[in-house]
Amino acid sequence: MIEKGSYMAILVASTSHALRAERVLHMAGIANKLIPVPRSLSSDCGVCLRISREDAEAARQALEKAKVQIEEIKPFCA
Amino acid sequence: MVVEKVDARGLPCPQPVILTRRALQTCDALVTLVDNETAQQNVTRMAERAGCTVRAERTAEGICLHIAKAAADQSPAAAVAQPVAASPAAGAGPLALVVGSEFMGRGEDAELGSILIRAFFHTLGEVTPQPDVIVFFNSGVKLVVEGSPVLPDLLALRDGGIEILACGTCLGQFGLKDKVAVGVISNMYAIAEAMLGAAKVVQL
Repeated sequence: MIEKGSYMAILVASTSHALRAERVLHMAGIANKLIPVPRSLSSDCGVCLRISREDAEAARQALEKAKVQIEEIKPFCA
Repeated sequence: MVVEKVDARGLPCPQPVILTRRALQTCDALVTLVDNETAQQNVTRMAERAGCTVRAERTAEGICLHIAKAAADQSPAAAVAQPVAASPAAGAGPLALVVGSEFMGRGEDAELGSILIRAFFHTLGEVTPQPDVIVFFNSGVKLVVEGSPVLPDLLALRDGGIEILACGTCLGQFGLKDKVAVGVISNMYAIAEAMLGAAKVVQL
């Protein structure tokens, strides 16, 4: 489990995108957690995937390869 | 000091709790003998909530629970043992969160309900006020077993001091009793007491 600290949030267009992205990251062995979009990033009701900062590039590549559309990957502090 | 003995070996849940509670009404200290850990935990929790001290001792006969009313050990001023739920001085009692489903909210879309409950338990670690106790029953017990998507969150909440109760009847119904990964297997007495003794109950 990822401890508190600095993370990246993978923001997606819908919850179904989030679930697809979660499966892809899981298959790629990238630790992640489905969380509500942090208040600091958006006030919308939505979920995103939290990953550690060092996994950002690997996650982006894995998601691109699997053709999972993402909006952006943003840093945040939890 | 009157010391009574309750032999609760071989009795089904919640009999050990009922017999112990009944005996406590007429004596200051007693020994309850049980033969399994679930009964030990249930009796211990009930007694501690009633303001008693409990010391467990494993013997050849079974698990001996030495239960004493706090008043028997301490000053006469502490003579009346109050249930924990009724005791907070400031008037604000325990906050109970009850989870009766593995999904958050009601609706046709189970996937959505699952996403919501995962997001909820993540958020619970970051907001205040936090519940004093979380009670899982019906399909909600699926959240406290191995492989649960919210297990890491529940472990962190438990480590933060939140009591987690899971309905034993429900775990049995789903064949999950030996898969519990967080919390205490509880009977309806403990569950009803946690809910009815709370100042506020929040239901998902």
